[in-house]
Amino acid sequence: MTSNSTKIAIIGAGRGGTALLDLLHQIPDVDIVGIADKDPTAPGLQRAKELHVPVEEQVHDLIRNHGVNLIMDVTGDPSMAPFIQAMKRPGAEVLSGATTRLLWKLVQHQSKLEAELFQADKLAGLGSFAAGIAHDINNPLQLILGLAENLTDEQDLAVVHDQARDITEAVKRTSAICRDLTRYARRNGTGEDVMVNLNTKLDEALRIARYAVTLQDVTVVKRYAEDASVLGNPDELLHVFINLITNAVQAIQTRGTLTLQTTVSPDGHVSASVSDTGCGIPKEAFSKIFEPLYTTKPPGKGTGLGLYNVLSVISKMEGHICVESDVGVGTTFRIEFPQVQPTTSCAPL
Amino acid sequence: MGEFKSGFFMSETACNGRVLVVDDEPDIRKVVRMTLQKAGYEVIEAENGEKAIEAINTGENRLLLDVLICDIRMPKINGVEAIAYFQQEWPRVPIIVLTGFPDTDMATSFLRSGVVDYLVKPVEGEKLRTAVARAMEQRELAQL
Repeated sequence: MTSNSTKIAIIGAGRGGTALLDLLHQIPDVDIVGIADKDPTAPGLQRAKELHVPVEEQVHDLIRNHGVNLIMDVTGDPSMAPFIQAMKRPGAEVLSGATTRLLWKLVQHQSKLEAELFQADKLAGLGSFAAGIAHDINNPLQLILGLAENLTDEQDLAVVHDQARDITEAVKRTSAICRDLTRYARRNGTGEDVMVNLNTKLDEALRIARYAVTLQDVTVVKRYAEDASVLGNPDELLHVFINLITNAVQAIQTRGTLTLQTTVSPDGHVSASVSDTGCGIPKEAFSKIFEPLYTTKPPGKGTGLGLYNVLSVISKMEGHICVESDVGVGTTFRIEFPQVQPTTSCAPL
Repeated sequence: MGEFKSGFFMSETACNGRVLVVDDEPDIRKVVRMTLQKAGYEVIEAENGEKAIEAINTGENRLLLDVLICDIRMPKINGVEAIAYFQQEWPRVPIIVLTGFPDTDMATSFLRSGVVDYLVKPVEGEKLRTAVARAMEQRELAQL
């Protein structure tokens, strides 16, 4: 952390404190010195432990902390402001009362906007699936229709049995499409993070990305490490991988190779990467690719929200994304996930 | 008399025409073959544009191909490229597009370019047979 960073103490670990914690810990120049609440069961304290943010048992200890230059009071308790003013070190600024309420509203607004952008990107993606879905539904339908027509006058019982079985299989294949798509389109629940197997998720993403981009001239290579699992939201990770795979295939203009890889290092760090042998990203575009609404795709092909959403999901998980690219050679997006906390360990208090 | 009649039917069914079906899905080729064989057509198959071009340049196909049925979304050489090749190299072979994706713009541009029919899967057997019969008529007219 640089010496210029803002060193913040959060007083209050209710809903407001938790939201503030989630937002602030993603910002690189912000250092959360600690969080405290009179109520030891406040939800923000548990969240702080998950995020390795120190939890101070005594509120006044945190207020007096030498390193703090901004105290944010999100307790909603009117008696707290004068208490903080009396206890704080000179030079530490205080945000409380109406100011923190406004901040809380901004945070809520921001998270709502992000959820909307995420959903907007997914729904725009569905539009681009139309050709692929039509292909994948109409082909089995052609088989079903042809076989059913034949069955009306087929005399050979063995053939009747074979074709009835083919029809059943074709129906199953078609219904799998609906299952994939409803899973893709649903809004992310606010449910708990769960252990997500990245290999399975990458496979599922590849299946769905096929609707948007044609993989017929693309060689797919999978290099999966065993047990590559991370703690996260399965729907968000699915969307992250669909975005990366779609981009990779679109970057391959004629023929090429798409490589999906997961690794687990001996110290338990998990990574997932999507590589292509496509057109590459020019140097001057590097700084812009994660910006919202930035796209190099033709109108109707990209919303410019894909990588922005990828980055916001991964930052929320406290992961990192590395991009390596050479024009004319290809691109690799590698996501490094944070180590999964063993349940017994605690952040230092 | 009986023998003559059955022989007549045999030769009639064997001579209705030779159709090349180009589709990457083996299931589709199988069901199109089944449908057309019932009307006495001989069906040859190719899994993509590249194989179709190979097939038409091999042996007796060169002379005896009557109708081409072609999918659009395929690997290697796709339907659009394959059809352009066939239209240039084999202008007398009528082409029927059989695709899983109903796209009005694409249909219009194909029909303008001389493709005789644009069928969207799933297509009923009778409709497919009628389309092939109509294409055969065109083929015969072209040979006059």
